[in-house]
Amino acid sequence: MIRDITIGQYYPAESPIHRLDARLKIIVTFLFIVSLFIVNSIWGYICVALLLGMVIKASRVPVKFMTKGLKSILFIIIFTAIINLFLTPGEDVLWEFGVLHITIQGIYMAIRMCIRLVLLIVGSSLLTLTTTPIQLTDGLEYLLHPLKKIGVPAHEIAMMMTIALRFIPTLLDETDKIIKAQQARGADFDTGNMMQKAKSMIPILVPLFISAFRRAEELAMAMEARCYHGDENRTRMNMMKMQSADYRAMGMVVLYFIIIAGLRMAEVFVPNWI
Amino acid sequence: MSIQINHLTHIYNPGTTFEKVALDDVTLEIKKGEFIGLIGHTGSGKSTLIQHLNGTISPTSGEILLDGENIHKDKTKLRDVRRHIGLAFQYPEYQLFEMTVYKDVAFGPTNLKLAPKQIHENVVQALETVGISEEIYQKSPFELSGGQKRRVAIAGVLAMNPEVLILDEPTAGLDPRGRDEILEAIRQLHEKRGITVILVSHSMEDIAKLVDRIVVMHHGKAAMQGTPKEIFSHVEELEQMGLAAPQVSYVFAELKKRGYDVPTDIYTVEEAKKVLYELIKQVKV
Amino acid sequence: MASSLFCAVCLVCIDFLHKTMYLIDSCEYMTMDYNIAERQNFCFLRKEQGEQKRMKMVKAEDLTYEYVRILETDHGTKEEKVAALKQVNIEINKGEFVAVLGHNGSGKSTFAKHINALLQPTGGTLWVEDMDTKNEELIWDIRQTAGMIFQNPDNQLVATIVEEDIAFGPENMGVEPSEIRKRVDEALATVRMTEYATHAPSKLSGGQKQRIAIAGVLAMHPECIVLDEPTAMLDPVGRREVLQTIERLNREEGITMILITHYMDEAVRADRVFVIDDGDLVMQGTPKEIFSQVDKIKEYGLDVPQVTEVAHLLRQEGIMLPEDILTIEEMVGAICQYKSTI
Repeated sequence: MIRDITIGQYYPAESPIHRLDARLKIIVTFLFIVSLFIVNSIWGYICVALLLGMVIKASRVPVKFMTKGLKSILFIIIFTAIINLFLTPGEDVLWEFGVLHITIQGIYMAIRMCIRLVLLIVGSSLLTLTTTPIQLTDGLEYLLHPLKKIGVPAHEIAMMMTIALRFIPTLLDETDKIIKAQQARGADFDTGNMMQKAKSMIPILVPLFISAFRRAEELAMAMEARCYHGDENRTRMNMMKMQSADYRAMGMVVLYFIIIAGLRMAEVFVPNWI
Repeated sequence: MSIQINHLTHIYNPGTTFEKVALDDVTLEIKKGEFIGLIGHTGSGKSTLIQHLNGTISPTSGEILLDGENIHKDKTKLRDVRRHIGLAFQYPEYQLFEMTVYKDVAFGPTNLKLAPKQIHENVVQALETVGISEEIYQKSPFELSGGQKRRVAIAGVLAMNPEVLILDEPTAGLDPRGRDEILEAIRQLHEKRGITVILVSHSMEDIAKLVDRIVVMHHGKAAMQGTPKEIFSHVEELEQMGLAAPQVSYVFAELKKRGYDVPTDIYTVEEAKKVLYELIKQVKV
Repeated sequence: MASSLFCAVCLVCIDFLHKTMYLIDSCEYMTMDYNIAERQNFCFLRKEQGEQKRMKMVKAEDLTYEYVRILETDHGTKEEKVAALKQVNIEINKGEFVAVLGHNGSGKSTFAKHINALLQPTGGTLWVEDMDTKNEELIWDIRQTAGMIFQNPDNQLVATIVEEDIAFGPENMGVEPSEIRKRVDEALATVRMTEYATHAPSKLSGGQKQRIAIAGVLAMHPECIVLDEPTAMLDPVGRREVLQTIERLNREEGITMILITHYMDEAVRADRVFVIDDGDLVMQGTPKEIFSQVDKIKEYGLDVPQVTEVAHLLRQEGIMLPEDILTIEEMVGAICQYKSTI
């Protein structure tokens, strides 16, 4: 039951997007999110959506996987829409009740925010769907590396992420086993009020924590035995190298930003398009 | 309390690419008070089978009758089933969580909502059966030795007074001394309480010493059934299933092959010594 | 309204330029090569000292390890000194396959951890090749020379992909990337797990995980591997896989194997056996010498092979079979011979 949860969902496929350098993908995703807040007009969003659609097509990830990610945050989207719908101040009031009011501006705002959120989720899930967790952590380590000078423990963060990813399936398995074992001793996790339910978690959590600590201790020893001593003088088997495709992708990103900026600029001259 | 397993089949992830038939039409009968050994290599379906008996997973098809009643028919009665059929998982000591040994063993009977006096009685009896002495009752379970922890964990199941006790690999990871302690405790509890015991193990030597009947699982089927004598005389078939008979069984299989008139159903050291002694004396005459 | 929008656009443009600069910056960083020469001198202090041909792989002289245990008594807490190892003297030759036997808590694991310098002796000395494990400067050389495998296969694999895990050791040693790739492929082939190179460790069986752990140590090119109860958590199939791998590496690659175990059927296959009981080295010799002393072995809480025990019992009855029978073939042979001599 508990094994159904998948974390860091990666969709294995052979595509140009999969082959791109992870560092580039992380930066582009970051820039993409920034761009979503630059774009302000419906035309802009159509443009962004079209582009995103093309990238999804190129990545060969079924759209089903994208919408799956959206389902889990449907609540947040609806919540944002409602907040924006009722609380945006504006001149053209359509309906009013106490502090709540619907305005034309509010409707636009709500639509905009929803589109932004959807694009944001789809865009960033594309990153995890096309990049293996290990590439992701490696990429992050490289990107955070310059920040080491100001005390950001880049290598340690990446190593922690790797170990977390490595042990999530193990610990899920273990949780499953502990639940079954305590059930065999008559433990009841389903009935009772909140307080009783919280209390019934103790027989699961205590053994789980003890086991996690034991594992951590043993793992630390095993890592030391294999000469681990932080990232000082450490090499990597898979060096990340930018390929020509990566540079081309980078060119496209620049182009994308020119279009986005252009659209934004266009609004200056035609401010009341929409 | 007798257990009747009829045409039990269990398929993991049916309809997906991960589909796996873990149990394939298993039919078994376990009589009251029997001591059963369940053997099979990893993935043979033996742990799926015992989890069915305890009601932690439900069958894809087939049924399990406990005294004639289907245990999976009424989900609300599953807790009742678990009270009758106790299951100690592999490495049970990893499930200990209370501050003291006594409290941990009392977890099961407390869940059954027994009267305090009854709980105390059950706990003390269970700990006595597995050979844990009174001065340890108030100790933290985490201070104990490996063998002690495991015995306390088994007592935790035993304290629910089950009529059937299933032990999954009770000797895994223990040294010979710890292993002998556990096996002795299990033998005692079977003898004293007369309950049905199902012992799941890879270790043929452990099983050979204790059980009345062996069930061999292979590819989700109950491939062989019989007394240890019957099972261990089929050395070659066991080998083919990735299992091994006790070492002395091989000696007699080999002697037989070389033309000596020896029985092939010997599996303990004592028997082997007796038979070989006879054989050599015969030769002398 | 229009002017404020214009300002926003300007800000965005500046921001964009800034981001692009950053992108270019990081690209430069990305393609920058590691200074490998600088790394190399790190892990190989010892190689410069020149190797002596005849030195022992592992040598322990009066090796003692004591620790303080806090006991809770009725009169508050009390500190107690416990000796896990008491003046142990052991010599292990290069290329040997030795087994260290003992029940749980006998001190055999403590001994194993000393070889890898995970523990420092509180008395006496332990040398790996000619390196004193107390010398902190040599600690990485020692760990590279004597690799270590632990009991729980799950708790020693670090990465989410098999080949990345095997690369972990060489990466820590600062080996050049192309060389790491070569070593990983070789190590995978040696433990016969090449087809699992890109699998996730959590999907493998216990025996397979343990073989990956062995490959991870192999990629560090050790002279010796210490295995601390590597089969205790495995099923019979997994145990067989791991044991065959150990034997093959010893025979074919000449790697010294130190197997810590409480399974006598594994110890029987070693060249030499050491028995540790309560921190003392109580027996040493070939498996035949050790296991023929059935009563003594049992006294230390250990087993002997069933056939050895049968032979022992028959000797007590006056049937003089050899007392060093360890295997089925030897037993059958001995009985046949006994018969033919009469």
